[in-house]
Amino acid sequence: MPADTIVLESMPSMGGAAARSLVPSRDKRARVPSSTFEVRDLVQETARLADYARVCGFTLRDTVPATWLHVLAFPLHIQALGSQDSTIRLMGAVHVANRMTMLRPVSVSERLTIGVRADNVRPHRRGALVDLVADIRSGDETVWDGVSTYLASGMTAPGDAPDGSHEPFEAVTPHARWRVPARTAKDYRRVSGDPNPIHTNRLAAKAFGFPRPIVHGMWTHARALAALEGSLGSSYSVGVDFVKPVLLPGTIGFSSSHEDGVTTADVTTKDGTKPHLRMRVEAVS
Amino acid sequence: MSHNAVVIGGNRIPFAKSNGPYADASNHDMLTAALDGLVARYGLSGARMGEVAAGAVLKHPSDFNLTREAVLSSALAANTPACDLQQACGTGLETTVYIANKIALGQIDSGISGGVDSTSDAPITVSDPLRRILLKASAARSAADRMKAFAQVRPRHLAPKAPSVTEPRTGLSMGEHQALTTEAWGITREEQDTIAEASHHKLAQAWEDGFFDDLVTPYLGVARDAILRPDTSVEKLAKLKPVFGGPQGTMTAGNSTALSDGAATVLLASEEWAKEHNQPILARIVDAEVAAVDHPGGADLLLGPVAAAGRMLARQGLTLDDFALVEIHEAFASTVATTLKAWNDEDYCRGLGLDGALGTIDPSILNVTGSSLAAGHPFAATGARIVPTLAKLLQERGPGSRGLISMCAAGGQGVVAILEAV
Repeated sequence: MPADTIVLESMPSMGGAAARSLVPSRDKRARVPSSTFEVRDLVQETARLADYARVCGFTLRDTVPATWLHVLAFPLHIQALGSQDSTIRLMGAVHVANRMTMLRPVSVSERLTIGVRADNVRPHRRGALVDLVADIRSGDETVWDGVSTYLASGMTAPGDAPDGSHEPFEAVTPHARWRVPARTAKDYRRVSGDPNPIHTNRLAAKAFGFPRPIVHGMWTHARALAALEGSLGSSYSVGVDFVKPVLLPGTIGFSSSHEDGVTTADVTTKDGTKPHLRMRVEAVS
Repeated sequence: MSHNAVVIGGNRIPFAKSNGPYADASNHDMLTAALDGLVARYGLSGARMGEVAAGAVLKHPSDFNLTREAVLSSALAANTPACDLQQACGTGLETTVYIANKIALGQIDSGISGGVDSTSDAPITVSDPLRRILLKASAARSAADRMKAFAQVRPRHLAPKAPSVTEPRTGLSMGEHQALTTEAWGITREEQDTIAEASHHKLAQAWEDGFFDDLVTPYLGVARDAILRPDTSVEKLAKLKPVFGGPQGTMTAGNSTALSDGAATVLLASEEWAKEHNQPILARIVDAEVAAVDHPGGADLLLGPVAAAGRMLARQGLTLDDFALVEIHEAFASTVATTLKAWNDEDYCRGLGLDGALGTIDPSILNVTGSSLAAGHPFAATGARIVPTLAKLLQERGPGSRGLISMCAAGGQGVVAILEAV
C-alpha cells in the first residue's frame, strides 16, 4: 500500500462533497491531491445492481458489467477532487473520455476494495485535463481498472496543449434507435448516485450552457455497452470518447461493427450524421 | 421408429383487419373456431389426438394455456393434450415442425398444429415499476409493509402499456428494419407494388376458383379474407404515401402487411394413421430448419430464413430447381424481393457460411395463390395458413412435387420447411 493512501471507513455520501465541489475555485492553476482514496470490503447490493441493469439495458447477471464498477468507484472521484488540495471542481468539469478494463468476470457477491487517485494533470486548449485513476481488487487480485478523464474548463496546467481535434467522423446508418425520455436522468441519478443537477434541472443545465438537461455520459456509455452484452467476452477493455452530450428528452441512433476481435460502436444523432459517443471494445486475453 | 409425417389438410377462419369484424373475438375464440372447423371437416369430433400445438404472438397473461383451453372448448376429446409454442411470425410453421417431428419419431401418430393472433384484443399491461410495486405489496408480510410498497406508486406508473411492436434491442419496428434492408438491397417502389398487386390478384383468383373452399370456414359472418382487394393495381398502390423509411421511403401500407386478426390450423398424422382413418394425404413434411441473424449487430432483420434454406437444401441434396412451388411469407413485399436477391447473391450466401448462392426461381412458381399482403398476417397463424395451402397445391401437381416455405420472424429469425406431395 502506498504511504499516501487514505482509507475511508465507508463509501462517502455524495451530497456534501458534491455541494462543496459546486463552489468554484479561486485558484485557476489545476492542482490535485496526491493521495489515493480507498474503501475496503465494499458489499455490492443486488437490488441496486438490478435497478442499474434495468435503467441501462443490461441483463441482470451474477457477473457485473464494467460500467457498474465505475459507478461503485464514482463517489471516490468526488472525494479525490473534493479535498482541500484540489482546485478542480468535478461538478463543473466535463467527462470527456473513459477507459476501463475488466480483467476477469466479477460476481455481484464479491466484496471489493476500491481505490481512486487523481493524476496526470495536463493542459488542454480549453482548460486542464485530469485523470481519475481507479482500481478495484477482490482480495489481493486486481479485477478491474479504469481511467476517467475530465476537462476542467478555464483551468491552467503547465505545458502546451496538444491539438485536441477528434478523429473525423463518417456518417453511419444507425441499426438501432433509442428514445431517451427525460426520466432517464432521474433514473440514472438514483442508480448511480451522481447528483449533478445539470442532468435533471433545466436551470442548472442552462447555467452550464445547455438548452435542456443532458443525460449522464456514463448512462450513454452503459447503454451502448449493454447493446453489445452478448458479445462481450469474460475480460475486455472498453474505451469511449464523449463527443457531444445527449439533450433530454431525445432520440439517439446506434451502430456497431466488429472486425478482428475489435468492436467499434457509435451513439449518434438519430439520423447517424453526428456522433454523441464513440466506443471501442477489445477482448483482453 | 421413423415415420412419414404427412399433412392431411387444414382449416382456418378468414383473416381480417385489426379492429374489423373480429374486434370482439379473443385469441381463444378464434383458435377454437379454427379447431372446430378442422374437427368438422375431418370427422374428428370426440377424437383423442396425439397432441395439439399452437401459439399466439400477442398473448394475455391469463392465456398461459391458450391451446389447451381452446382444445377443451372444441369438439376434440377433452383428453387431447396441448401446449403453447411461440416463434414470433414463424409460430404456425414451428408448431407444425414440432408436431411433425413427434409423429416422425413415433411419439404420437396424429396431431394438430396452429396459430392465432388478435391485434384488436391485444394485451394491455401495467407499467414495469407498478408491476414491481404490486408484487412487493403482495409479498409483504404486514399491513405496514404493504402500505410502504403502495406509497411508492406515482401517477406516471398508472399509464397502461400496450404491447410494443419494436425489436427490444434496436428500438426499431419491423418496418423500420425492413426499410434499412430495402435501401441496402436497392429494392424499388415499383418492384414492391408489383409484388403486392400480384398477391391480391392471385388470392382473389384462388377464392374465385373455390380453392379455399376446403381450407377455410366462415366465422362471425366473414366468408372470405377481408383484407383482400381484388381490384387493386400498381397504379392505385403507387398513390400511397410511404410509411417506413422516411419521406423518400418506398414501403407503404399497400406493400406492407396489415395488422390482422385470425387463426389457422393444420391436421398432421403418420402416413399409417391417415390410411387407417381413411383421411386424405396431401404431402409429407420432408425437413425444416430455423436460423437467426445478428440484427443487433446490424444484419438484415428479416433475412434470417436465407441461411436456414441454404443449409436445409444442402443437407437434402436439393437445389431451387427441384421445387415445383415456393412460398415466401410476404411480411413486406420487399422481404420477398430481398429474399430472392439474397438467394442469388454469391457473396451474401458465402458470408452466411453457405457454399454459394442458392440461385433463382421462376417467378411463376412463387406464392401462386397469393400470400400475406393480400390474405393478412395474424402473426402466429400465417405458418398454419401456408402449410395446408402449399400441401394442397403440391398434391394437385402430382406425387413427388416439392414445395419450399420460407418465413421471416421477429428477433432476426427465420423458419423454413420442405413439403413433398405423396
